[in-house]
Amino acid sequence: MPTALPHYAFGRGAIAVIPLSLACAPWGLLAGSMAIDAQLTPLQAQGLSAIVFAGAAQLVAIGMVKGGASLISIVLTTLLLTSQHLLYGMHMRPTLSSLNARWRMSLGFLLTDEFFALVNHYDRETFNRWYALGVGLTFYIIWNLFTLAGIVLGKSIPGLDQLGLEFSIAATFIALITPVVRDVPTVVCVAVSLLCSVWLSYLHWESAVVVSGMLGMSAGFACKRLGVGATQR
Amino acid sequence: MIYIMIVAMGLVVFLNRYLFIEPRLPVRLNRGAREFLGFAVPGMLTAICGPIIFLADHKLNVSLANPYLLAAICAVALMFWTRNVLITVLLSMGLFYFFRWWL
Repeated sequence: MPTALPHYAFGRGAIAVIPLSLACAPWGLLAGSMAIDAQLTPLQAQGLSAIVFAGAAQLVAIGMVKGGASLISIVLTTLLLTSQHLLYGMHMRPTLSSLNARWRMSLGFLLTDEFFALVNHYDRETFNRWYALGVGLTFYIIWNLFTLAGIVLGKSIPGLDQLGLEFSIAATFIALITPVVRDVPTVVCVAVSLLCSVWLSYLHWESAVVVSGMLGMSAGFACKRLGVGATQR
Repeated sequence: MIYIMIVAMGLVVFLNRYLFIEPRLPVRLNRGAREFLGFAVPGMLTAICGPIIFLADHKLNVSLANPYLLAAICAVALMFWTRNVLITVLLSMGLFYFFRWWL
């Protein structure tokens, strides 16, 4: 794969991310239409998707703007809500940090949950920056197009958030998680992460995702270190 | 005010994403750290799925009459069976709407 032609690798990445991009369509539409609903101008609404580019943080921030929250509290909430990206960055450090500044910055900006889900398993030898750019940029463009559609449709999408379309995100992530659950420590990791994420979200913790993810990772790591289920490997 | 918010949010998100990619940041990942990060995919992606499946509209629903839960179980089974992400996503979406209509 590293020797593949740039445009070919870019195209492969672009195609790989299309199902996930479509799964995020309802959130993109919502990010656009909710921003308009919260009295943001169309330019501001699009600016959120173009500059912030973080679905959950955008939706929560828009809700907070509507509720009259302060700038500081919105920025702090964003910091907590997107802190799982610190882990993604750390995980991708061996492959991404050796690129030049332009590539690092670009791929760093495009490092979303979805980007991480598709690109994380490449090591330094198999990683192709053009493939990664294809994944990231395609997702960015589709996300912004759906936001634009949401802005244009505005409030004329009745009950979009009641349709249960967010299940497509869960379905996609389940499809990506299932193949890596091959040993006892990973099963423990998934179980702890699942329990904690439901519990902490129920308690309205803003950092529920990153805290429960890290608790799950720690539990899996501890099991592996203690040799739990080692005979099954 | 809104523009300041957008730029501030953008900076915070970029900081989160970029911090550990910066080569000048003096962090060296030892074997333990790499092993820990090996759990990032199941750990983090599961944490995103959990609230979607069990907390629709912020109401806790752990019964089998929860269409999200039923379809999620089907998605796991479909992935084991087909080993194909796209087929799994499409079929489990279809099943999800079927369960919602049926229950």
